[in-house]
Amino acid sequence: MSFREISAWVMGSILIVAGIYYFKMVAWASSTLGEVSPPVIGFVIAYVVLVVIASAIAMSVLGVANHKEANMAADEREKQVIDKAGHWSGYVMGFGVVTGLLHYAVNQNGNMLFHICFASLMTSQISEYVFQIFLFRRGV
Amino acid sequence: MPKRPPITNRVRELRDAHDQMSQAALAKAIGVTRQTVIAIEQGRYSPSLESAFRISRVFGVGLEDVFGWEG
Repeated sequence: MSFREISAWVMGSILIVAGIYYFKMVAWASSTLGEVSPPVIGFVIAYVVLVVIASAIAMSVLGVANHKEANMAADEREKQVIDKAGHWSGYVMGFGVVTGLLHYAVNQNGNMLFHICFASLMTSQISEYVFQIFLFRRGV
Repeated sequence: MPKRPPITNRVRELRDAHDQMSQAALAKAIGVTRQTVIAIEQGRYSPSLESAFRISRVFGVGLEDVFGWEG
């Protein structure tokens, strides 16, 4: 398995765990309030800090373990994989945002709009890593 | 599953003919990762024209001695 594929597995896993943590917090806040909770900046900051710290640690460990590959720039196939995965994940993001906007147009719930858009952002990023893994394995 | 490109190659055969050249050595010679060489050999990836020329130069043969068109 190449360094970039391992990185995609690790980063995807970190984002999934952090996303589950974030939405558990949102679900807990919503159940306490009895309605969809408003955006809580503390949860967002906790999510971002968790992702940044976990990513930095994971990438450092991977970099030390695969020193040679970590220093190499992406080759032509890897660049194609990264570009295509980024392109496809853009559709995931777009779909989520449009869904959020349609939900808002019907229900006028701004809190839900925020959560749907934030979830789309997370899902899009996770899907980018999933697409990378798929393309690394199946071919560009 | 992505459609397999209609380009065949003899990279594996030529590596074997060149003192069992390793995939890593070929990868280093043409400036790609070993995984990319594996993908080329398995027909999962068609290299750029530049890499195709590099591969043929490494083996000292013409481009069409390495790559073929299946279609």
